[in-house]
Amino acid sequence: MNTRSLRFQLIAWYAGLLAGCFALIGAATYLVLQTSLVGALKENQLRRVRQICQLVLEEAPRDGEGRVSEQIEARYAPGLNDRFVRVTRSDGSVLYRSGPPKGRAFDPAELPALVWPARSETARQVALGAGRKMLVIARDVQMPGGASYLVEAGAPMDEVQAHLRQWLIFLLAGLPVVALVAIGGGSFLMKRAFLAVDKIAASAERISSQNLSERLPIAQSGDELERLSIALNHMVDRLDQAFQYSRRFVADASHELRTPLTVLRGELESFVQEPQMPPEWRERLGSALEEVERLASIVEGLFAISRLDTGEAQAEWVRFDLAQLAASTADQMYLLAEDKRIELTCAASKGVWINGDRARLKQVVVNLLDNAIKYTPEGGAVMVTVSAIDSKAVLEVADNGVGIPRESLPRIFDRFFRVDKARSREQGGAGLGLSIVKSICAAHHGRVEASSAPGQGSRFRVELPLAAPSMNNQKQYDHEH
Amino acid sequence: MWRSARFNPSVVYISIMRLLLIEDERKVADFVARGLRAERFAVDVAADGPAALQMLAACAYDLIILDLMLPGLSGSEILKRIRRDRNEVPVLILTARDAMAEKVAHFEAGADDYLTKPFAFAELLVRVKALLRRGPVNRSSLLLVGDLELDRLTQQVKRAGKRIELTAKEYALLEYLVANAGRVFSRTMIIEHVWDQSFEGLTNIVDVYVRHLRAKVDDPFPIKLIHTVRGVGYSVSDSPDT
Repeated sequence: MNTRSLRFQLIAWYAGLLAGCFALIGAATYLVLQTSLVGALKENQLRRVRQICQLVLEEAPRDGEGRVSEQIEARYAPGLNDRFVRVTRSDGSVLYRSGPPKGRAFDPAELPALVWPARSETARQVALGAGRKMLVIARDVQMPGGASYLVEAGAPMDEVQAHLRQWLIFLLAGLPVVALVAIGGGSFLMKRAFLAVDKIAASAERISSQNLSERLPIAQSGDELERLSIALNHMVDRLDQAFQYSRRFVADASHELRTPLTVLRGELESFVQEPQMPPEWRERLGSALEEVERLASIVEGLFAISRLDTGEAQAEWVRFDLAQLAASTADQMYLLAEDKRIELTCAASKGVWINGDRARLKQVVVNLLDNAIKYTPEGGAVMVTVSAIDSKAVLEVADNGVGIPRESLPRIFDRFFRVDKARSREQGGAGLGLSIVKSICAAHHGRVEASSAPGQGSRFRVELPLAAPSMNNQKQYDHEH
Repeated sequence: MWRSARFNPSVVYISIMRLLLIEDERKVADFVARGLRAERFAVDVAADGPAALQMLAACAYDLIILDLMLPGLSGSEILKRIRRDRNEVPVLILTARDAMAEKVAHFEAGADDYLTKPFAFAELLVRVKALLRRGPVNRSSLLLVGDLELDRLTQQVKRAGKRIELTAKEYALLEYLVANAGRVFSRTMIIEHVWDQSFEGLTNIVDVYVRHLRAKVDDPFPIKLIHTVRGVGYSVSDSPDT
């Protein structure tokens, strides 16, 4: 999962937020619950303490201390109710202490005495061991005779603690459930929302400089995504216009350059062939003519590329054998290689059928071979191979020449790009050969790529879609019968 | 001016051919007309459509060279009118546009040939003469330049009576140059005729073949027949300097 994707981040954020809120609310309810339960318990004990104080105040002077104990036992029966009551004299001796509770939840004798004198109505929690606690409220009673008693009433907090524990368990169990539900629901909603985004991304991916007339499908959803696709389409419109403008510009420019070039060439040619022309002048004019020729070939190359890129040049599509084309072209260029003592070999398995403009694809082979021969030193080797791999026709031109520097490799198909400016111009190239190759491949729904080990050679690989095999079978069938 | 004509032994003009050049670019019109006149053609120049139509009505031409981009009346419109009047005069179209579809459309409209700017004058001349076929083109099977003999039927080449063995491409190149002896051909023209358009821009292939050809045809002999004209191309003639 891509942790940087918007989808992941949104889900993580919402699930985290929801879990955080749940934890916060849980903690708050826990505290409120605790306060109210403890408060209620405290209130009960306080009431009892006050009643006993009243009892002590009324009974002790009249009937004696013994009567007080009886009355407490009779009225409140703390042992039976799991409650604790203790009345202590000011000298620390115990007047009354409730008996052991029915459930033996605590031992009244072991509860530590409050340090005398206690402040009035103090509440304290006494640990009973094993995490259990007891709430004890204390209050002192001043008798008219000057004596004083401390009355304590307490109850174990087991019930309160049990309630709180249950609530805590509920909260802790609920938190992951809430988080899971948030993640699940979130990804479902996100998936729905982002499905549209994925669709837009996939469509946008398909639009390249070759099919700028295509547009993204617009879902009439009225949401932000509709606006996004409309905005993207407008951007593609502008790109399309810019591309069209630049192509038209190249086409117009090369068109406009042709007439002056014609005049220049015609006038210079007539001068060069003038019989009275001194040889030195003829040389100079010839040199000028060579430049005119180069200018003309650049203009032609640019025009060819712009026509290929606009799709104007796809007139003559036929079905033919790429292997046969490569073999015959290599044959025609054999002398060019031999002239540099380069060994030119062609390994083409027969019957690699493709659909396309034969003349254009021949130009691909010619340009790649010319390039390979040009950049391979004397005595080197150039190899052409054609094969059908999967559903692709693959043409490879490999040489063991100077190779292409790593930093130049990505730009090798750019117009006018030359690895070594001075050297290449001397060899007469305009720097358009490989961009023409690229444009032709693109116009045939194929591609071309270059790889190279500097100093060891280069390899150009052209991939084109194979023609449908059914016709091919038909042909073989016809051959056999 | 265009001295090449002087060296072509096969050129025999029976009568003066009259050409109409319809071209609005004055400078292009100038050098084309000058070159054609040097080749002893009578050339009239029309700078726009209406003028061209007037001239067509006034005179019978042997050939029309027509630029497509014209003010007033487009070249294709003129071509349509010529053919509508059942005028069968050969029409060679000059244009700066060369989209394949357009080319086909013009051939269908009755154009006989098509030349894209910038063209070499030599090529225009070859095409003009090819369209006029009726005179200057050598149709015989035996071609002669100096002591060089080419037999088009057997594809055999002899010099000073000695047989020279050539490869098919070398023969094609030599035949192209010898058949138009004295004329200078650009590398582009040679590529288009001897190879095909896929090799355009690959001018060094011509140089390599010419070098091989020279080794066989010229090197063993004192008089050189294959000449290089710097900036233009190659020619075959028995004149010592070109």
